[in-house]
Amino acid sequence: MSSSQPTPAALAREIEELRYQLEEAQELIHAIRTGAVDALAVQSAEGPRIFTLQGADHGYRTLIEQMSEGALLLSEDATVLYCNAALASLLGRPLGEVMGSAFGAFVPSAFADYWAGLVLKGWQGKSRGELPLQTTAGALVPLSVSMNVLAFNNMPTLAVIVTDLSAQREITTIRAQVAEQNALLDRKTAELKREEAARLAGEQAAAEASRLLEGIPQIAWTANPRGDITYLNRRWFDYVGWENATGPDHGWSAHLHPDDVAATARQWQQCLGRGAAFEVEYRFRNRAGDYRWMLGRALPSRNEQDDIIQWIGTCTDIHEQKLALERIDYGQRQLRENNAQLTRVNVDLDNFIYTASHDLKAPISNIEGLLLALLDELPPATVHTEPVQPLLDLMQDSVNRFKRTIEHLTDVSKLQKEHGHPTAPVDVAAVVEDVRLDLGPLIQAAGARLEVDVQAAPTVSFSEKNLRSVVFNLLSNALKYRAPGRAPLVRLRTWPEGEGIMLAVQDNGLGLDTASEHKLFGMFQRFHDHVEGSGIGLYMVKKMVENAGGRIAVRSELGVGSTFSIYFTR
Amino acid sequence: MQKLTCALLVDDDQTTNYLNQLLLKRLDVSDKLLVALNGQEALDLIAIHCQGATAECPALILLDVKMPVMDGFAFLEAYEKLSLLPAHRQAIIIVMLTTSLHPKDVERVQKLNIAGFLNKPLTREKVNEVLKNHFDRHLPEE
Repeated sequence: MSSSQPTPAALAREIEELRYQLEEAQELIHAIRTGAVDALAVQSAEGPRIFTLQGADHGYRTLIEQMSEGALLLSEDATVLYCNAALASLLGRPLGEVMGSAFGAFVPSAFADYWAGLVLKGWQGKSRGELPLQTTAGALVPLSVSMNVLAFNNMPTLAVIVTDLSAQREITTIRAQVAEQNALLDRKTAELKREEAARLAGEQAAAEASRLLEGIPQIAWTANPRGDITYLNRRWFDYVGWENATGPDHGWSAHLHPDDVAATARQWQQCLGRGAAFEVEYRFRNRAGDYRWMLGRALPSRNEQDDIIQWIGTCTDIHEQKLALERIDYGQRQLRENNAQLTRVNVDLDNFIYTASHDLKAPISNIEGLLLALLDELPPATVHTEPVQPLLDLMQDSVNRFKRTIEHLTDVSKLQKEHGHPTAPVDVAAVVEDVRLDLGPLIQAAGARLEVDVQAAPTVSFSEKNLRSVVFNLLSNALKYRAPGRAPLVRLRTWPEGEGIMLAVQDNGLGLDTASEHKLFGMFQRFHDHVEGSGIGLYMVKKMVENAGGRIAVRSELGVGSTFSIYFTR
Repeated sequence: MQKLTCALLVDDDQTTNYLNQLLLKRLDVSDKLLVALNGQEALDLIAIHCQGATAECPALILLDVKMPVMDGFAFLEAYEKLSLLPAHRQAIIIVMLTTSLHPKDVERVQKLNIAGFLNKPLTREKVNEVLKNHFDRHLPEE
């Protein structure tokens, strides 16, 4: 069993052997088909049979001659024993020149070593490789070579099949070029796409900017980083007139007021240099030829790298405001001048009053003195006779009135000077008591009653001398203008009111028509002519009170009485 | 009452001078009355009448403030510089006669080296005051 049954190892070996033979046979068949070999050793039952070119039939020979691959036989000294037409054509030489020549002549020197290696290996069995060969034109033709040792006419030869690779190479090159071209195209396309995207984005931004700038009611413009105008919105063209918006700057410089050119250019250059906000007031001529004031403003617009890419600016019409400001300025200047003039006039008036009162006093004093001297000279009997006595009395009265008027004038002008007089808390009750003593005879004569209530606000902040004058005037007025038929009742009260103090003097006298209140407090105004009065008292009171920041008011009813109220600030 | 030896009236107003002369004569205040129309005339009169130990030197000067040529203030400045015998300078009483004074003039008058000032017009009472205060005498009762 064991002798007839082969072992699995033996079987495996046999299979391996058979597979090897099969592979070899396949390789041979492939070689024959491709023309890689010229001689075939075919195993047969009678042993191997060698097929050579010579031994091959005529058809096979014709095949070799006509095939497109080059074929040649090399002797041991590398002389070309045979070659087909295809090889000769590959090398660009006549068949006769190639045959019998040393093949090494066609191998470029750079490949000589490689070629020698291939040949050496070929003599050992077979070899394959790729190398270029030199053509007559000098061009190198890329070739693939495969070699086999072949016995030719009982002489060992090296059979070489040469395949032209140039077409293949070319294709490869072309492919590479195409690929390269394609890559380049792709890159270009990508670049173009990027550029397009950027351009679109830029255009969009510009369009957006100009759309925005078109929409605003002011003149708007853009300028490049050098400062040249690059865009102006419709408002500009409407303003100067489309027909006038000529030149590269659309008439910008042509419409700027000549007086504003230098300052504007200076400012603009400074801002361009520093990248700082631009602001200027300048005048532009409109379509009608009138210059209008504009407020020009511009800011730089920057990219991600913080470089200024453009300036965006506006011009806002400020003509009316500017004129209004100028009018206000002018008005204020006028006011200041008027004020200064009034102050001068006031000073002059003060001086005039002093001078006048001095110059009037001297002659009236003289008249009085002369009158007295005359009285001394006249015999007493004459003095007391009619009409000398009344004449002398009237003269004396006139002199007295003249003197009093001058006194009042002097008092008034003194009062103007006291403006800003320091104030101190004054005891109202004490002042009223003083005045009551001064007015004693008048109070008694009139049978008047004076009620004083200053508990709620015992002091006021005022000049004591002026408070005395105020109280004296109000109380004496209350007594002087008493109503016939009833005893005067005068009430003086003080109380806190708001931030200050109120002082009121109420009487039950004649009363007056308060419609003419402004006349009541005017200078030399008199409401009743039956009572001796200068018409200066209330004017003085009002001045004193107002100079100290207070105010005076009157409430009155004819036949019932009057109430004068004075408000003192604290 | 012992009369003053001499009085000097300085005023540019002739009427004032006339009335004051009339008053002083009537009151019989002074032996002699001199009249000057301004400060300069007054200085000239003093120079003439106060030379040496004469009795002509005015004991009382009634001085107006506002006058042409040389006013009362300028007169007083010049008077300070005048070379006078100390006896005379001590004997001379200067009283200013004023009308209403400008506040700054009041201040000026108060700083002056004078015996006093009186408001115009001059009266018997005012003259009597001056006599009492500076000459230790008074007018006889009327």
